[in-house]
Amino acid sequence: MSDATILVLVSMLITGVLLGLVFALVAAGVSIMYGCIWLPNASNGQVFVLAGLLAWSLTNSLGWSVLAASLAVLAAGGVMAWMLEFTLIRRLYEAPNRNIDYFVMTLGLTQIISGVFSVTYARYNDQYELPKTIEGVTFLGPMPITNTRLFVIAVAALAIAALFAGLRYHQMGRALRAVFQNRDAAALRGVDVKSVYRFAFILGTVVTMLGGLLYAMAYSFDLTLAWTMSVTAFAIMIVGGPGSIFGALVVGLVFGLTQAGVSVVASPTMATFAYLGAMLLILLIKPSGVFNR
Amino acid sequence: MKRFKSLFVAVVAASLVGSNPAAAQPQPIKIGFIAELTGPWTFFGNACVQGLKMATDEINAAGGVLNRPLEFVISDSQTNPAQALAAARNLDVNEKVVAISGPTSSDVALALYGYAEQQKLPFLVPAAAFPLLTKPGTRYTFRLEPDAVGWGYALAKFVEQRKPGAKIAVIYSDAALMRAIVAGLKYQAPLSKLNIVSEIMFPAGSSDATVQAAQVKAANADFVIVSGAGAFDNIITNQLLDLGVAPNQIIHPFGTATQVFGWGPRSVGSFYGSFFDLGLDTVTPAGKAFIARYHAAHGRPAGYGENFCYVTAHVFKEALAKAGGVDREKLRQALSQVKMKEPTSDVPIEFDKNGARKEYIYFLQMQSVDSKKDYRSKQVFYTEWDPEVIPVYQLVK
Repeated sequence: MSDATILVLVSMLITGVLLGLVFALVAAGVSIMYGCIWLPNASNGQVFVLAGLLAWSLTNSLGWSVLAASLAVLAAGGVMAWMLEFTLIRRLYEAPNRNIDYFVMTLGLTQIISGVFSVTYARYNDQYELPKTIEGVTFLGPMPITNTRLFVIAVAALAIAALFAGLRYHQMGRALRAVFQNRDAAALRGVDVKSVYRFAFILGTVVTMLGGLLYAMAYSFDLTLAWTMSVTAFAIMIVGGPGSIFGALVVGLVFGLTQAGVSVVASPTMATFAYLGAMLLILLIKPSGVFNR
Repeated sequence: MKRFKSLFVAVVAASLVGSNPAAAQPQPIKIGFIAELTGPWTFFGNACVQGLKMATDEINAAGGVLNRPLEFVISDSQTNPAQALAAARNLDVNEKVVAISGPTSSDVALALYGYAEQQKLPFLVPAAAFPLLTKPGTRYTFRLEPDAVGWGYALAKFVEQRKPGAKIAVIYSDAALMRAIVAGLKYQAPLSKLNIVSEIMFPAGSSDATVQAAQVKAANADFVIVSGAGAFDNIITNQLLDLGVAPNQIIHPFGTATQVFGWGPRSVGSFYGSFFDLGLDTVTPAGKAFIARYHAAHGRPAGYGENFCYVTAHVFKEALAKAGGVDREKLRQALSQVKMKEPTSDVPIEFDKNGARKEYIYFLQMQSVDSKKDYRSKQVFYTEWDPEVIPVYQLVK
């Protein structure tokens, strides 16, 4: 096999895994909220971009390191989610068709956040890039990969593993899974359902923001990314099965690798249709999602 | 009664005298300026308005036009063609502007084009490069920025000059602007004896080009033409550099100041097209003063977007003076006969029968990027051409 072929194949694999893991993280954030609270968060794309923008401000304006900025952004994201839950989200916990109410509410949030971006960040720049998290490159055969990207892959994989473990072994994780499966039965077993909702909303938001931060470490981004990521996250959640972290991981990776693979054998334009086409096909065969609980 | 009459006359006279300063204040000449102050094109719209305001202040401080102040009535198009159209109608009917201007987005400009042509309202486009804004038969629309198909033509000429018979790879986003550039490049490349060895187009919203960068690297091209939309431009550039493509093999068809900062120090040595840049040999003292004042006010140097809007105000000043008043038809006539130079760079401004400008482009090489506030570049190529040197209007419909 020639070096040129290996170069293309390795790059395809790395790209597929990196994008797949970031997609999976964001889809997991959306999935936790939807599976538990029945909240289809239309503003997830804006929240994703918000994380990158805040980190950009802290690194570029205040000179913080990327890691310090990321920790601060995640903490701020947790506080922001808690405030949103307190002021808005909890008002609809008992509403009969709250998924529709939530969808409209989060669409409103999307408009507000994008309006705020318009009059703030968009006035001063049109593209954003974080400084390198880790300097240097590592060679995989003939293919050089930046250490920042390897770091992003490692952190994304660890975060997903931690989500798995947390949901399986931690008391709150088990309570969250119980509410996923049957809210009334969980309540009868003594689970404080509203506390679990609050936790799910905060966790989902922080996980989405972590996805945004990792993306921003690996790539430049602009404000149009919000819409693309929002659609992708919903597609992965629906195909993977709402509430399933494993589904988000598998489908995220399938989407990432499909996109990378089809972009080589056909074209990048075809790649966009390919993974959405795959989504439609899977939904025709299993409308409830592959890993629906 | 006689005393009352005298008092009445005195009061009226006093009120007339009192109102005299207001009467002496000349009414401004109003031009509608529909800019992308919000929406996806916010950055360009705002940068444009900042350049325009600097020029307007200068013109009015020097006495205005026809002894009247020049006023640009600014309206937000939200980067939305329908909203832009509504704004144009309002400016035309209610504000009674003498002309319109403002868009930096081709989509918005195309919406205004139809209105301006239909309503016989002079329309000066500062910076929107889609060719059909000056298609044959255009009468009321004039454009300062050269059309994007022509940029592709000039790009081929530049590569031909750097390395005759070069192999080139093209990697770009599926956007109207980029498609137009590539159409011009592909038309001219065989005529310039260049060989396009790889052409990769990305759909809107793409976020990764690692694999395609590897394909381009494998194709072993002499030069890689990179033109991604928004932040994707940086992504492609960085991924090419990561794979070992040398900066001086990378050519960006166009580059604003913020793009140069975005490419960053790693890209020093790479090339980009521009219509105004601090590194040009031809920047006049007025141009240098403009760059410095812009830098002081906004923390970064002015690029070609800001300059086109700065120049827009000066073109209106020239045309209004030539028209001798605010009659729209006379202003259209005056615009069609404009023969002036950009105050910032001495590049001639002259429109052809369709409102397209005698076109030109510079190519510069990045010399250094010191921070997010300063960079240095060097002019390495300049060319100008007739707008229809290649079949521009057939290549892009």
